[in-house]
Amino acid sequence: MPIAVTIADDSMMSRKNVRKAIPTHWQAEITEATNGQEALDAVFAGKAEVLFLDLTMPVLDGYDVLRALQQRHHKCAVIVISADIQPQAQTLVRSLGAFAFLRKPLEPQQLHEALAGLGLL
Amino acid sequence: MNNLLSSDQRDALQELMNIAMGQAANAMAQLIEVRIILSIPKITAVTPEQLSGVLAEPAVWLTRQSFSGALRGEVLSLQVKAGVEAIAGYLDFGLPLTDKSTEAAVLEVANVLAAACLQGFTSQLELPTRLAAPELYRPKASTVDAAWAITLLMEVEFTLTDTPFDARVVICLDPESVQHLISRLNTMLED
Repeated sequence: MPIAVTIADDSMMSRKNVRKAIPTHWQAEITEATNGQEALDAVFAGKAEVLFLDLTMPVLDGYDVLRALQQRHHKCAVIVISADIQPQAQTLVRSLGAFAFLRKPLEPQQLHEALAGLGLL
Repeated sequence: MNNLLSSDQRDALQELMNIAMGQAANAMAQLIEVRIILSIPKITAVTPEQLSGVLAEPAVWLTRQSFSGALRGEVLSLQVKAGVEAIAGYLDFGLPLTDKSTEAAVLEVANVLAAACLQGFTSQLELPTRLAAPELYRPKASTVDAAWAITLLMEVEFTLTDTPFDARVVICLDPESVQHLISRLNTMLED
């Protein structure tokens, strides 16, 4: 059965890079979100067992999304993929429930390791 | 003017800037051990008059650093004057600042942010550049360099919570470099 995956990033190029990094043998049903609100809508519509989440986005940023998921005790696995690589940002997203923090530009190997860590590969 | 880039080119450029500015914020955060908040990068093609308007804000210190190589232009930083003392404190400058130490603090911030921004930006594009030392810049009213007749202005804002520190970094490219950049973006988009 395919895994529901949402890629949330305001950059088309970045969403494309994440799509390309997803293992080809992995059966994923992919939804794209261009801001934090769309990401939350996708999650609550059941379209995100795994959420790849950018931090710097319009409408709602990635931190807002994580806070909303934490408040609702939502169990989707969040992998943050961000250009904001400050140690404080990494600590904050982990405290807000993100499973992993991957830095941009994204290396496919990083993503594969994160998925393996979630037991999804 | 803002038809200079297609939507795909603009998206790609904005993402490259996002990554570069993230690296710059990280470099600064390592120095001051405080998290820096980043804005979403803004990319506009500006007229000389619009650029003069950006540079004419009285409440900011303005620095410039020229760069050359595969791309040519200038990196500018605009630092809100009221926030310089706060960042200088984090950088272990003696407070209160004197005129001389204010200038040193402004140049220090410019050097960290601008160098990391440019390095992050040009390394992703594989277009190596050399960056000169920063200097304080006091443009004459309503004048800009002739080379900036067409300028691609790429801007991001760095702020700190709980302090008035606010710095913007702007990369200006000369017309030839804009064409070179567009060509490189097209190659990246074809991959």
